[in-house]
Amino acid sequence: MVPFIIRRVLYSIPVLLGVAFITLFLFNKAAGDPAAIRLGKNPKPEAVKQLRKEMGLDDSFAKQYVRFLGQTVSFDYGRSWTDNTPVRRIFTRGIGPTLSLSFPAFTLGALLAISLALFVAFYRGSPADKALTALAIGGISISSLIYILVGQWLLAENLKLFPIWGYETGVGAVQFLMLPILIWVVLSVGTDLRYFRTVALEEIGRDYVRTARSKGQTEKRILFTHVLRNCSIPIITRLTIILPFLITGSFLLEIFFGIPGLGSTLYNAIANSDLPVVKAFTMIGTILYVFFNILADVLYGTFDPRIRLS
Amino acid sequence: MSDIAVELESVEIRSPRQEAWRRFKKDRTALFFLGVFAVFLAMAVLAEIFELEQLDTVKHGGAVSYQKTLQQRGHELSDPVLEAFPESSTPPSSKHWLAWWGTTAAGKSVLLRVFYGTKVAFVVGACGALLSVLIGMTLGLMAGYFGGVIDEIVVYLYSTLASVPYLLLMLALAFIVRQGPIRAWYDNLWLKYYVSIGLFNIIVVIGLTSWVTLCRLVRAEVKKVRELDYVQAARSLGFGSFRIMFKHVLPNVFHLVIINFSLTFVLAIKSEVILTFLGVGVDQEPSWGQMIADAKSELMQGIWWPLAFSGGFLFLLTLSINYVGDALRDALDPKLKH
Repeated sequence: MVPFIIRRVLYSIPVLLGVAFITLFLFNKAAGDPAAIRLGKNPKPEAVKQLRKEMGLDDSFAKQYVRFLGQTVSFDYGRSWTDNTPVRRIFTRGIGPTLSLSFPAFTLGALLAISLALFVAFYRGSPADKALTALAIGGISISSLIYILVGQWLLAENLKLFPIWGYETGVGAVQFLMLPILIWVVLSVGTDLRYFRTVALEEIGRDYVRTARSKGQTEKRILFTHVLRNCSIPIITRLTIILPFLITGSFLLEIFFGIPGLGSTLYNAIANSDLPVVKAFTMIGTILYVFFNILADVLYGTFDPRIRLS
Repeated sequence: MSDIAVELESVEIRSPRQEAWRRFKKDRTALFFLGVFAVFLAMAVLAEIFELEQLDTVKHGGAVSYQKTLQQRGHELSDPVLEAFPESSTPPSSKHWLAWWGTTAAGKSVLLRVFYGTKVAFVVGACGALLSVLIGMTLGLMAGYFGGVIDEIVVYLYSTLASVPYLLLMLALAFIVRQGPIRAWYDNLWLKYYVSIGLFNIIVVIGLTSWVTLCRLVRAEVKKVRELDYVQAARSLGFGSFRIMFKHVLPNVFHLVIINFSLTFVLAIKSEVILTFLGVGVDQEPSWGQMIADAKSELMQGIWWPLAFSGGFLFLLTLSINYVGDALRDALDPKLKH
């Protein structure tokens, strides 16, 4: 196990170097001159020249790359261009609101999707299965924007069940978070249900299920002890891979409901060309993604004794 | 002798493609949704042929109202037209065909915009999916067939790209394509007469970000197919690598390409809506994304019909492609025969 983890970590280093290269290239070269972007519309050429010198943009690309890697390692991306706060503080400030939305939504959504998937797998072929499967494909065909717009308009604006917009720290946050959490659950449950149902049906078709049946096991026991156990591996893998996205947060939900999390921060940073923040978030998002992918592989090996990690 | 010949004729011999179509046809709902898709395609073609955007006024200065456009086009401005198009929004009415589905907050015909939006959706979906599939297919074929260094490079390329959170990558790229050198390059291109920057932006972003899944699948499958006897035979006959790759190996993995095309098509249409809403998508012509983005303020004034129609059409098109895609996967999967 330990050699496997070490190898995976070592293997992810070239990937991270590549992402750092892409990020730096995209924002320092492909997007245009960062100094000109920072100075806004129609900047004076002398001012741009001065700022380029200050920002070290006249150095070779290799030198800028090494500097950027240094920033990534020390997690110090300088200060935001818009309000001059250190990027590190922006990150720590936003992570609370983001997680307070994404974590409960993710947990509720996953529980709901798994229970529904087991239910439809148990009653496979029945009208209930067909109805739920049809509902799921209908559900994933609606744009997420429509869910948010209609949800906000109908449930908050018209029926006044929830506040429309805002955020508070502490317990007061709950009232503001209920509606976005509800929408997140509805948004995710369709895709997850379809996936988990396929996984469960695949397991039900296997030989050991037939053996269990021929031994006279009840269908319920087969589903909840044998099938669920074997399904847990792909389920855990999938859920682990989603985890990094809980930290980067939801752009749309955070923007619409005024939650000051990382999603809306990043959106504002992109809209205002706040390059240090965008670059930092890209790198942090990638590192998290790589980390959780390794974790998923490790879990996979731990839960499934057939798989040898080597 | 002749008896045997007769017997042979009575056995139906189907090519894999006929076999797949036969299985696809069995699913009545899939056929229905294929029909829905065809209707949408017809709408998009109609919008293109009749240059519906000319009737709309967004491209021509924005503030000009329908009355003026219709006048300019030599329409007699009879009372029903004037009545159907006040400067502000009207709910769906039967006064004039352009107002059947109501008008937007800016007094534009919802029916026209939805039709034109269908065209935009098809351009974004088809071009974006095509670009993505071409990249994914070619790289996957090359990686799987040649192996070695090429394989390693391709795998490195896609694992790196797949490590950046998707929406973040998409948004960052969309932001970058719009300005800077890529924009300058686009402005000097003949392409700009056919595709607006907003559309170009979305197509490029989708193409560059969504090829990884297909590339992975094709690579894995080609690795298996490469070792099959018929490929060895082709090689021993002295056929070139590219001939073998595209003529002999590709048909065996093409079902992956078709299925992935439909998935990316949906992804592209959905991304258009989100990118447009976030302000980095289509902005020079009416699109569903634009209508949905406008709906945010329209809903607060009680104007629900632009959202209902654009969202409804978006839903129907997405649903039909999703369903047809599922049925295609079942019909084309060689493991699921019978």
